[in-house]
Amino acid sequence: MVTKLSVVDKYIDYVRNEAIENPEKSFPKMVLGFKANKLKTKLLPKKNISKGYQKLETMMMSLVADSLSKEKSYVWSNIFAPCEIMQCFDLNTLSIECLSCYLTGYHLEDYFIDFAQNTGLAPTLCSYHKTFVGAVDSGVIPNPVYAVTTSLSCDGNLNTFRYLEKKKGVPFTFLDIPYEEDETSVSYLAEQLKQLTIELEKRFQKPFDIEKLKQAIRIENETRKELFRFFELQKKHYYPGELISQLYLMMGTHLMMGRPEFLELVRFLNKDIATYPVFEGKRILWVHLLPFYQESLRSYFNSSDKYQVIASDIIIDFMDELDESRPFEALATKIIRNLYNGSYSHKADMIGTLVDEIQPDAIIHFCHWGCKQASGGSVLLKERMKEKEIPMLILDGDGIDKRNSHDGQIKTRLEAFLELIETEGKSC
Amino acid sequence: MLGYICKYAPIEVFEAMGVQMKRMEPEVTSFNQADILMHPNICSFAKGLLEEALSSDEYEGVILTTCCDSIRRLYDVLKEQWSDKFIYILDTPRVTKDAGVMLYEKRIRDMIHAYEQFSNKTFDEDKLKQLIKDRQQAEEIKRKENVLNIGIVGARANDSMKKILEERGVNVAFDVTCTGLVRKLLLEEDNVLFGYTRGLLSQFPCMRMEEASNRDQLIKDYADSADGIIYHTVQFCDNYSYEYAWLKEVMTKPMLLLETDYTKQSYGQILTRIEAFLESLNKNIVKPKKRLGGQGTMYVMGVDSGSTSTNAVIMDQDRNMKAFAVVRTGAKSGESANKILKEILDKAGLKREDIAWIVSTGYGRVSIPFADETVTEISCHGRGAHYFNPKIRTILDIGGQDSKGIKLSEEGEVIDFVMNDKCAAGTGRFLEMIARSLEIEIQDLGPIALQSTEDIEITSMCSVFAESEVISLIANNKEKADIANGICRSIANKSYSLLKRVGMEGDYMMTGGVAKNEGVVRAVEEKIGAKLYICPEPEIVGATGACLYALDHMKES
Repeated sequence: MVTKLSVVDKYIDYVRNEAIENPEKSFPKMVLGFKANKLKTKLLPKKNISKGYQKLETMMMSLVADSLSKEKSYVWSNIFAPCEIMQCFDLNTLSIECLSCYLTGYHLEDYFIDFAQNTGLAPTLCSYHKTFVGAVDSGVIPNPVYAVTTSLSCDGNLNTFRYLEKKKGVPFTFLDIPYEEDETSVSYLAEQLKQLTIELEKRFQKPFDIEKLKQAIRIENETRKELFRFFELQKKHYYPGELISQLYLMMGTHLMMGRPEFLELVRFLNKDIATYPVFEGKRILWVHLLPFYQESLRSYFNSSDKYQVIASDIIIDFMDELDESRPFEALATKIIRNLYNGSYSHKADMIGTLVDEIQPDAIIHFCHWGCKQASGGSVLLKERMKEKEIPMLILDGDGIDKRNSHDGQIKTRLEAFLELIETEGKSC
Repeated sequence: MLGYICKYAPIEVFEAMGVQMKRMEPEVTSFNQADILMHPNICSFAKGLLEEALSSDEYEGVILTTCCDSIRRLYDVLKEQWSDKFIYILDTPRVTKDAGVMLYEKRIRDMIHAYEQFSNKTFDEDKLKQLIKDRQQAEEIKRKENVLNIGIVGARANDSMKKILEERGVNVAFDVTCTGLVRKLLLEEDNVLFGYTRGLLSQFPCMRMEEASNRDQLIKDYADSADGIIYHTVQFCDNYSYEYAWLKEVMTKPMLLLETDYTKQSYGQILTRIEAFLESLNKNIVKPKKRLGGQGTMYVMGVDSGSTSTNAVIMDQDRNMKAFAVVRTGAKSGESANKILKEILDKAGLKREDIAWIVSTGYGRVSIPFADETVTEISCHGRGAHYFNPKIRTILDIGGQDSKGIKLSEEGEVIDFVMNDKCAAGTGRFLEMIARSLEIEIQDLGPIALQSTEDIEITSMCSVFAESEVISLIANNKEKADIANGICRSIANKSYSLLKRVGMEGDYMMTGGVAKNEGVVRAVEEKIGAKLYICPEPEIVGATGACLYALDHMKES
């Protein structure tokens, strides 16, 4: 085991150095590492997590490793871009936020962030965006054929994609997401989505088939129902996972929604969880990003039978059924009604609904460095949750850059909060 | 009266209803309430607005747009805090094509309807038409001859910046930040509100708009009319940094990146940067005309009033250094100034009357009562460095409270500079904090670091976090030498990024008190892969440069 680990570590160090010394040549080696990891998750899955989460990890490793090894098989996107449309062209959707996370596998985030800052990007900008810009700007990540971004949920999206278009020549479609939710907004966005299909037809020389989109929406509706069943089952069962499992699930609901294999996976989760014993610890609803690397958080939540993160708002940021007969309008509605769009009051309402559905014991809201849209309303959410008598902890840190998160501070706050919910439980 | 902030806000619609509109320009001293109600890591402008709104009762409401993440959250908080007022957020599209105009027109109509209900006033499209007709459009570029012309680009610029420029006789040739633009009012006789909306959306695009990619060309065209550009950004507003990163590479005109935070306290820092920039543009700035005379050999003095030390140099007319002195700066820079004046005059064996001209520099330069002229420490460090070693092209100056990277031309003129302040990480103050935690004297930190045998990575970027990290390392029984060296290397990393931003070119020089720390010097040299030139007394480089400015003055007069 020791030898195996050291081989992995050596390879990670090797790729890290290559990316810094010979950026243009390092990419195939990086992809090879992702492929090896995909194989590893398949053959030697993590023993401490449930089978469903093991399969989920393999699926997400494959998505990234397989896409990146085939040049024209994917588009860059942001996490809210409509992957259903890309699927109609047999394209994978790789969000830059997720790719940044994968780059941390080679411990390259600090190098890329510094690289981006040295070219003039603000130190206060979101570290996911800086990691990605640094990775592309330094020559490590090659251009895709095309990119698609939405203005949801932050200002960084348009700016990052525009910067990469200007600097590296990556063409992209920008989807302007209106703030208000009404019919005018839906038509405005639906029209942009139609234009996107025309653009993709041109770029990838493939005709668009609306039936495929309808089919994807049918599967998506089914998947969402299954997901709610999964949350329901989690109320009762112990289902060991890691913080990163939540991120993988988020990748699934954003980058693979509408695909039969993802639906199958969620069905498997439901089958598998039923075989697990009753969970008697505290159930946590996580709000916003998860700093999967943070030592203290990992030690409290990974495979824990005392505290289980049962859901995160980033996984289920839209909760309704889509109308497959009007697929563009349906997707437009989905994006506009997303929990991250519109006023914070809308977000608080949706989190309120989620709380009613899954009945967590407590909420942890993670304020990721540089994310104004999430941090700016955290106090409002706390007030709202107070009305529901759900204790909520606001944790400040960074989802990706360790240098902006102080483990000691996070640990103290977290432990105090856990003590608090334990005591509350007793007094009830 | 209604407050507004964004250039895309339809203020003429309200004016046509007889409402007084005021653009909100917060200038606050603290973010006490905003940090509690929102979050500390929100754009300082939005926090400033919240502070101002909560402390003022002159507004009946505020019109916001969905211009950026921070403003969207400001709306949520204001709505909660000011529930009896008219707080409205307009869903402003990012595209300016017809679909965007149509959507925005509808949103404006919805807003009018909501305001009519709130105020019992009514909107009359003819009145808007008349108002549009009455308003004349002015030229956006106003270049003046024989003075320095500066253009302002980037995020909204507040008045203090323009005031600083005006006071120094500088003309603002153009200001294309959202606070400087002339309103673009389009009149379509048959479709007044639609035409007006189209005009609003077709203004000089801000970074949130899809068309912002045309900004480059527009800015380049505008830049031809100016001698230099000030690129303004607001702390925690990151949109404009993308454009700066891009423009920096393609712009031929000198450009200063200026970050402000809408607090009164930031005035001093803005001043230093703007003055240094103007000095680097090599034009004459209005100077005081007072003059002191000396007999026989002429002597001039330079005084550098820094946060940690006050340094002085006396030079004769042939640029020979007659004496120098360094004293610790106390709580009042004026007192340290008198102390150093006495000390250096004693050392040089001269009297006050023997000094023909005194130039002060450093952050306390305006508090030196006996100075005849002030020049920023950036220009002075440039001149001083060139005096000590003409081969120097890049200076790293680490002082007590800030650090700077300065780029010089072959002639020793400042071409560009970047400053890092408001953050103690990577400064002399930071080293003092760490030395205290390690229970060693500050002067021993360097020599101890040189004895390190194990590499320790201090990862925290914030000095407070770094201090806790050091305390944990001490608790883990790590060697002092290794921790000290880790700290030196963390300063080297910060410095490297500063130098990268200003552009790296040899030879390199390090100035300021921290240049005396062998540990930091070694770490920086390793990081940049080059030797650093350190002059025998690195703290007096600024004061030496100030002397050279004083000599310039004497020659001119």
